[in-house]
Amino acid sequence: MSGDPILDEWYPVALVSQLGPLGRDTRLLGQPIRVYWGTDHQPQVSDANGRALPVTCRYGHVWTCPGTPSRPLFDIPEADQPGRRLVDVGVVRVKCSPLRAVENFLDIAHFPFVHTDILGAEPHTEVGRYDVQIRDEVDEVWATKVQFYQPQAAKSAAGGITTEYMYRVPAPTVAVLYKTCPPRPGEWDVITLFVQPLEQDLCEVWPWMALFDDTTSLTDLIHFQQTIFVQDRSILENQLPRLLPLDPGMEIPTRADMTSIAYRRWLKRRGYSFGAQLVAA
Amino acid sequence: MTAAWTPVALARDLPRLGVMPVCVDGIDVALWRSASGRLAAWADRCPHRGMRLSHGFVRGEALSCIYHGWSYGASGSCLRIPAHPDLEPPEAIRVPVHRATENNGVIWVALGDQDNTPPALTGLVPLRSVTVQARAEVIRSASGLAIGADGIARGHLASIAVAVLMQALPEGATVLHVLAEPADPAALIAASRAVEALRRAAESKGAA
Repeated sequence: MSGDPILDEWYPVALVSQLGPLGRDTRLLGQPIRVYWGTDHQPQVSDANGRALPVTCRYGHVWTCPGTPSRPLFDIPEADQPGRRLVDVGVVRVKCSPLRAVENFLDIAHFPFVHTDILGAEPHTEVGRYDVQIRDEVDEVWATKVQFYQPQAAKSAAGGITTEYMYRVPAPTVAVLYKTCPPRPGEWDVITLFVQPLEQDLCEVWPWMALFDDTTSLTDLIHFQQTIFVQDRSILENQLPRLLPLDPGMEIPTRADMTSIAYRRWLKRRGYSFGAQLVAA
Repeated sequence: MTAAWTPVALARDLPRLGVMPVCVDGIDVALWRSASGRLAAWADRCPHRGMRLSHGFVRGEALSCIYHGWSYGASGSCLRIPAHPDLEPPEAIRVPVHRATENNGVIWVALGDQDNTPPALTGLVPLRSVTVQARAEVIRSASGLAIGADGIARGHLASIAVAVLMQALPEGATVLHVLAEPADPAALIAASRAVEALRRAAESKGAA
């Protein structure tokens, strides 16, 4: 029983479909770990001392917890919904705080400037009011009724549309996006960002998707997401300070940043400080 | 006494609508030039989310952050927040502004308030800037250049009279901004190659 809010979380450490016979030596929270196939043909994870860590395989990824899991891995019910394509996008290494990577994923105001002509375009820059809550009953951050004009919202979108979004933070290094599904009105496409914190200022980002899209090739779906994340990387590696400031003073939020404000407040409340800067510099 | 003004670039290397990162006494600075040619040196950090402003873009007389497009005018105050086009940005949203001036083809930046002006370099033309992985004193001793009363290294490279301005970078690197007496292109090319040779000599000396 560690009781440490950082150690007791679940973290993604590999794609099940890409874990080769030699396994994967990687890092988690500044410590070396090893992911490998056990004798029961299930992925296993061990720390530097050879201690076996808890493992869950879900959403295409191997998840582990260096402490004692405070709760089961969060649920994404859509993952089991018939007709969805589950897409393992792969990994992007980013020299930034894992928390900055999550926060950027929750942000829509940057679309016209960072993902120009894909997820946004001038002059359609306005971010309208949306709802943000910290849902105490599930201990998650939710943003709903988020709307934004997008030139090409998804690989399956033919032209510009106003897309509606919901954002959900079910764990400190995980964000889930629910997004208008162009070919299937009434359903939501699910795009996630699973972040593996290697160090306080270095992470590996594993996007994953559960989509209604029977026509786009897998290669095109993966290229679309990788294009977006590489554009985000150019931002994330050039923010100062490197760690995410949880106290006000260092940065100036506006109404468009309500999700980020709630995320920072939620992190601080649960004592999640890995990748965070706690005192205003 | 440290020099109040730091040479940061040759003026011709920063065109109108251009922005570049430079370093002054270990401080990151976004150096940019407006459509009308006005020069500015600002803290290289957007107050909103900490993105480097040197990655931004210039439109007209304003510099905008590449992350969310917040734009800042001549005084460093925020002019526009694209996510809230109808909002008048509060006066408190402001980028710290440093002093910048252009003199004989060289751009100089001062972090504090300076009443004086950068050293005069009349009669010389800009040759090139080059980054050297060595400290200024190593470069001086490798070059054989003499330091004048104005603190500027002068001498000859490939028989051309030169002045070499040195800008310290973190971790022991130095940028040399080299000016030369007006000469024909072949002579200036020879001087430029001599700057390369000086760089190699200083780097091998520094590594030894």
